Amino acid sequence: MKSFQFYVVAILIAVTHSCTLNKTDYEAEISTDVTEYYEFKEVSVSNVAAYKVSIESLNGTFYKGYNEIRVKILDTQTNQFIKKAVVKFLPIKTALNSEKSSCPHEYQLKYKPNEEYYLGYSVFLEESDASIKWKIYIDFTVNNESYTVAPDVVIKAQPNKNLNMTTFKGKDGKEYVIALLGPQKPKIAENKLVAGIYQYDPPLNSPGVFPDPSQFLYSQVKGYTLLLDPRMPEPSMGNHSSINNKNLVQQEDGLYYGIVNYTMTGNWTLNFIMLDQNGKTIKGTQVSNEFTPGIEGAKSDLFINILF
Amino acid sequence: MRLLTIVLLFFQVVVTAQNTPIKKDTIIVLNEVRLISATKKKIETAMKMAVSVDDFLASSSSISFIKRGAYAWEPLLNNMSTERSVVTIDGMHIFGACTDKMDPVTSYLESNTLSSIDIKSGQEGSLHGATIAGSIDLKRKSTSFGLEKKWNGAYQTGFEFNNKQFFNLGNVSYSREKLVFDASISYRDAGNYQDGNDNEVKHSQYHKFNTSLGLAFKTSALSSVRVEAIFDEAKDVGFPALPMDLWLSRALITSVSYKQLFEKGLIRVIDTKIYFNAIEHYMDDTTRPENLVHMDMPGWSTTYGLLSKANLKKDRFSSEIQLNAYNNLSIAEMRMYPQDRKNRTMFAYSWPSVTTAFTGIAMNNSWEFSEKSQLNFGGSLGLNYNYSKYVEFNWIFHPGASQEKTRILPSLHTSYQLSVANFNFSVGTGYGERAPSISEGYGYYIYNSFDRYDYIGNPDLKNEISYEGNASAGFKNKKLNIQAKVNYFFIENYIIGRILSLGSPMNYQSIGVKGYTQLNHSTLFNFSLNSEFAIMPNLHWKGILTYARAKDDEGKNLPFIRPLSYHTSLHYKYKKIGFQTLLNGDFEQINYSPEYGEDQTPNYMIWNLSADYTFNIKNKKTVFQVGAENILNEYYSTYADWGNIPRMGRNVFTSLKFNF
Repeated sequence: MKSFQFYVVAILIAVTHSCTLNKTDYEAEISTDVTEYYEFKEVSVSNVAAYKVSIESLNGTFYKGYNEIRVKILDTQTNQFIKKAVVKFLPIKTALNSEKSSCPHEYQLKYKPNEEYYLGYSVFLEESDASIKWKIYIDFTVNNESYTVAPDVVIKAQPNKNLNMTTFKGKDGKEYVIALLGPQKPKIAENKLVAGIYQYDPPLNSPGVFPDPSQFLYSQVKGYTLLLDPRMPEPSMGNHSSINNKNLVQQEDGLYYGIVNYTMTGNWTLNFIMLDQNGKTIKGTQVSNEFTPGIEGAKSDLFINILF
Repeated sequence: MRLLTIVLLFFQVVVTAQNTPIKKDTIIVLNEVRLISATKKKIETAMKMAVSVDDFLASSSSISFIKRGAYAWEPLLNNMSTERSVVTIDGMHIFGACTDKMDPVTSYLESNTLSSIDIKSGQEGSLHGATIAGSIDLKRKSTSFGLEKKWNGAYQTGFEFNNKQFFNLGNVSYSREKLVFDASISYRDAGNYQDGNDNEVKHSQYHKFNTSLGLAFKTSALSSVRVEAIFDEAKDVGFPALPMDLWLSRALITSVSYKQLFEKGLIRVIDTKIYFNAIEHYMDDTTRPENLVHMDMPGWSTTYGLLSKANLKKDRFSSEIQLNAYNNLSIAEMRMYPQDRKNRTMFAYSWPSVTTAFTGIAMNNSWEFSEKSQLNFGGSLGLNYNYSKYVEFNWIFHPGASQEKTRILPSLHTSYQLSVANFNFSVGTGYGERAPSISEGYGYYIYNSFDRYDYIGNPDLKNEISYEGNASAGFKNKKLNIQAKVNYFFIENYIIGRILSLGSPMNYQSIGVKGYTQLNHSTLFNFSLNSEFAIMPNLHWKGILTYARAKDDEGKNLPFIRPLSYHTSLHYKYKKIGFQTLLNGDFEQINYSPEYGEDQTPNYMIWNLSADYTFNIKNKKTVFQVGAENILNEYYSTYADWGNIPRMGRNVFTSLKFNF
């Protein structure tokens, strides 16, 4: 009788632990291809006089798209971080033909007293390569004395498609940039979708001494609305969409917040229509609501592809 | 209040028991003791000896089927689908692993492993768990101890010409004073069948292997332990009504039970069983070139449980008390492959790892006032718990829906039976609740190829509540037996899929999204008339007429309700030769439901004929049978055939059975 019980137990164990096909490891499934960045590391260090200027970003790398920037200025003599200085930040791209341009950025960084750094952002529009070089100009004033550092930096491709960006010309003739800030690691759920929307402000006066910040102006657009229609354009998904999505509207921090509801993993396209303060369409087209299996879903002329 | 009533019922039983003097009773042979039981039925129909489990169930007037092909039919009890009934094997709960219900419990068995099927209508079936429609309990063969003939067995083989089905069924049993052994093995291999126009119905093949083993030994004069296992494997099963087929489904069903009999006292039998079963089910769409999209749809269902049953008897009072507890984990996945296979696949759960735990106590009592009249009453109280591990899938359509849900499921029923001379009458009523099924509660984009919608579950559906009434009247003498039965269900919070204006489909063939919602109520009426007449001692006639009608709260028709149907057969026996002929069919479906994806099904009539010859080979009884189903080669499909897939045309079958 004991042997029978043994057999039964053995069969139970064998069956509970063996299946013909393995079940999907869901946690692994949703984290594939999605790199999550949560740690700020040093990207660049420059020294001027007795000061050490370090720039930090997530993962210690600048990526194409939105980057949060933290600048620390250390007085190497006192070994104290400089507080409440005026710190100015200007990224400059030099193309092969020496043409210089910038990208959306925070020019005057904000001091964060608790963390002892200066906070800003930069939305790099292109990756560095043989023909494209990036340099960051940081001016700061301590004890009425101005200092400048200008380290070369390298902009890398953003491997996380959830942080993609797009640039376009609106119907009003302005140059715009939309960059995604999150969700870094989307879930099959309602995700908070965060984007920055920026416009290029062409210079009004002739250039002064390089780098003249008035020649490289970008600003956050105010009071716009980004209508959202997420879809899976893959022919096999037939233009599948989801419900309970919310359009992106601006909040106090200047960024745009909405909700995107992903129903499954895979390739998604965020189709947008950008409206100005008066509800006038600046860019974007309505996409079809039809379920069209076998046909690649048409995209709005304003969209960002993501993948998770 | 409901709880109080049940407690009072219990109390009453105990009190009655104590006041009556103890009566001695002797039970010598340990055998199946069933105090309140339906009559056992032999697993063969009048027409055919080598039936499948489905064929056999189909011969009951309260069962109809949804058919998606030649295999694994979904049994509808009282015209209600499997969510509303409890289907068990010897009381064990088993849940299919296919989100499209292509593997009902009955598909994991073979007829030669079964001794009988116990069908109870409505709340009378609540003994095995919370139900609305009733219960179907498939009873396994279990040989008695100490039979005079130690070895018994049967072997049956046969061939069916329409779909080139070849089958072999064998079973053997061994009985000694303290040890019993039952084993069976079977294999069926069928190709595509041909419809009434002699066209091949592609993707209707199947291959099924089933084996079972049971071993019992006496631990004392009045107690025994029984270990049982069933293994079932189906491979390459086509579902012509679906855009995909089955690559493999596998079930392992195991149990260990301990049975104790008592020679005297109130309690006569206590039977306790622990069980475990695991099912895996893998669909395959690569056999369909028309599919532009490749998709994997694996599903797993694992259940373990406890079942403990006591039979009590005191004078004219008998009672059955049963404790049911089980835990089920159901997981189903969808993985869609992009056209360009280099791109990443798309993944979602259709059952996001859902646990169901149920504990319930149920009792059925019967009190014979006299030889002529009897009162049956009973009830159950169950606790149903659900947990959705990846609740984010449920939140897509129902933001903030509960991840865990506990429900209390009460049930009560009573009936009174009276026999006067050759007449018998019964009236009964019942009340019961059920929890939503896994698909109804937690399903996510489950594609239903009948109406071509993707279905979304809602975790916060309310319990479905049924109020039922039933009655029967019959007449029986030596020659004639007529039995008429009616039942009526008023079902509150009736769960059904309704089109969601929101959301877009996910599955390739789908045309929209439906969410499971609840109708305020629906009503369902069933009628059946069964009659048997012995025209001559060796010539018998049998007839069945059934009718059903179901409406939603706006008076519109509900789907899958069988139209007026009939079944009439003659059986003639002359010496060792038997002849049977059968006519059956449905009338035109008048009350169909376009809202739920149905179209009108025309009437059909099928004529079957068979003959058998019994002879002995070395004193072993042998039966040879030959027959034909659908002799007129009628082209037809029934109201419940998905996609109006035509049924089998003329089918000549042969079968040979040896008993030893």
